[in-house]
Amino acid sequence: MTRITRRTLLAASALPLGGGLLASRRARAEEAYILGTLFPMAGPNAEYGTIFTAGAAMAIKHVSADKMLSRPLALRAEDSEGTPQGGAVGMNKLVNVDHALYVLVGFTGVSKAAAPIGTRAKVVLVNGGGVGPDLAGLSPYYWNVIPLVPDEIKVLTPFLIARKLRRVALIYVNDPFGNGLYKALKTDLTAAGGEIVAADAISPTDQQFSAIAARIRTTAPDAVYFASYGAQQAQIIKQLRDAGISQPLLTYSGAAIPSVRNLPEAEGLTLTAQAADWTVDDPVTRRFVADWRAQYGSDPTPYHQNYYNAVRLFALLAQQLEKAGKPVNGDTLRAALLATRRFALVGGEGVFDDLGDISMKIVVNTLKGGKLVAVG
Amino acid sequence: MLLLQLLVSGIETGALYALTAAGFALIFGATRIFHFAHGATYALAGYAFVLASRLGLAWPLGGLLALAVAVGFGLFLEAAVYRPIQRHHGAFFTVFVAAFGVVIVVQSLIELSFGRAFVAISTPLTRAHEILPGLYIAQVFWVALAIAIVIFALLGSFLARARAGIGLRALSENPDLLRAFGLSARRLSALAFALGSALAVPGAVLGAATTGLSPGVGAHVMLISLAASVVGGIGSLRGAALAGLLLGVVETLVVAFLDTQWSEAAGFVVLFVFILFRPSGLFGAAVAR
Repeated sequence: MTRITRRTLLAASALPLGGGLLASRRARAEEAYILGTLFPMAGPNAEYGTIFTAGAAMAIKHVSADKMLSRPLALRAEDSEGTPQGGAVGMNKLVNVDHALYVLVGFTGVSKAAAPIGTRAKVVLVNGGGVGPDLAGLSPYYWNVIPLVPDEIKVLTPFLIARKLRRVALIYVNDPFGNGLYKALKTDLTAAGGEIVAADAISPTDQQFSAIAARIRTTAPDAVYFASYGAQQAQIIKQLRDAGISQPLLTYSGAAIPSVRNLPEAEGLTLTAQAADWTVDDPVTRRFVADWRAQYGSDPTPYHQNYYNAVRLFALLAQQLEKAGKPVNGDTLRAALLATRRFALVGGEGVFDDLGDISMKIVVNTLKGGKLVAVG
Repeated sequence: MLLLQLLVSGIETGALYALTAAGFALIFGATRIFHFAHGATYALAGYAFVLASRLGLAWPLGGLLALAVAVGFGLFLEAAVYRPIQRHHGAFFTVFVAAFGVVIVVQSLIELSFGRAFVAISTPLTRAHEILPGLYIAQVFWVALAIAIVIFALLGSFLARARAGIGLRALSENPDLLRAFGLSARRLSALAFALGSALAVPGAVLGAATTGLSPGVGAHVMLISLAASVVGGIGSLRGAALAGLLLGVVETLVVAFLDTQWSEAAGFVVLFVFILFRPSGLFGAAVAR
């Protein structure tokens, strides 16, 4: 006969309680559309998490104010730490515990780790921050509301050649994003008659770059391109400039964050980014920019725009499905996206291709007094 | 010339590593407390200096504020965290977990107060100038070197000659015997924390100007301090100082021969070599088994 111990009794009495909790959590989940966020919220890339979340939060506010949907939107946040491991763990929790049906994600490595989990569960992931080349067509349930880095390189290369910046030294993070960028830059620059004269791979945790600066100086490049993210970008800029590297510094849209913009050594930095024209005269953009300025006292960044658009895209698709009396899930959202393709988003009409990727205009900018000024 | 340039960079980095590592070694050597929150002391001192700079205070005043914050934090931890644990005969692991918790709290407080972004101080001191063809040196190199030499000279003299300094060295050996000589183990322990924490300040201040700071900077500093303490010989102050310098030079010089990604790993290769072939470190005493 099985002996009944105090432990067994405790476990038995806890079961209904646990079941009740689970049931109530599930009931709450049924009340609201659960949107998940898989952003870095701690560590050297936490700055991005704050920026991404702010954009999404404003969209939720607008969707609720407009009563676009029959059910409210609820946000569940998981810290991806900006790493693939963090991405996989966070995505599993969002899918299996929070029952999120639409997850906002950033960072290439995180996306690549989370996408298979989303695909299995048919949960849509929308990226507004990662730009690695591999992110195109990652999964039928993985969409991009940000142009990817090959598009940025395609715009930058003719700009460099026109300014006789043919010999480029590259510092890149040795991860899927950095390696993809290296490949794209090498291909496009070589085809245009330029060359990569040095390519230094770094780890995302590296903090000392004076040795790399010394090595780069020996190759006498026309310009130095760095491909990193988070706090490391500012460290690279500062240490290269301090070490006497006076050549133009080039980078991608990831540097359009306050810690880089406010760095005195970053003055004159050349970076490609999606065009951020806040003077576009459509009601969606006008409202977004006006409310943003009223709340934060400054202009939004393209990242704010992207995550606002990601949430707005969900609201538009879910609204369409509700009107048609269809359920809102990964399959129906995807079908609605491919059937509609064009959406009124911040920055103008957003057009999605077969892979679920948005097309947007890219411009070359220079950093002047902390602001991005389009130069090409 | 590349080698010479890398050597200069390595010495600058190593001098700052040496000071920070010496602080950790001093505390551990005297009290046998595994002060894992030493990196948090570095971060707090650095951010205090940044705050002073933002408030428009002159560098010496900023340095004093950083010193006050670091010493105050060290003394607080000694009195409010480590001493109660020791009073209850807490295990080494308890001390480690408590210190680890403190690191997380400090990091969160910094994030709340200063944001999660990178911060740095821009100063002409860090701008390198070509002093020989292909050799660039910034004034901060000389400053780091001078500070390290002066501090180690003063500290060496204090530990060798001052009554309190000798007491500190004796503290780890026999605290009971100290009492027979009229010295207080509790006060000496506090002194070790005050001095050790103060040693993190030059690195933090110059770090804010050279590499910049982020809320998680303490973890890297702690890793270096640990590695330097092992390579130098557990508890040996001069060992940790020399090992800190060695690690800085090695991680920079390696770039001349290997891919840059080996830079950080090179320091830890040195650590493994010491663990395998000279586990007692540079100046540690060999222990018979």
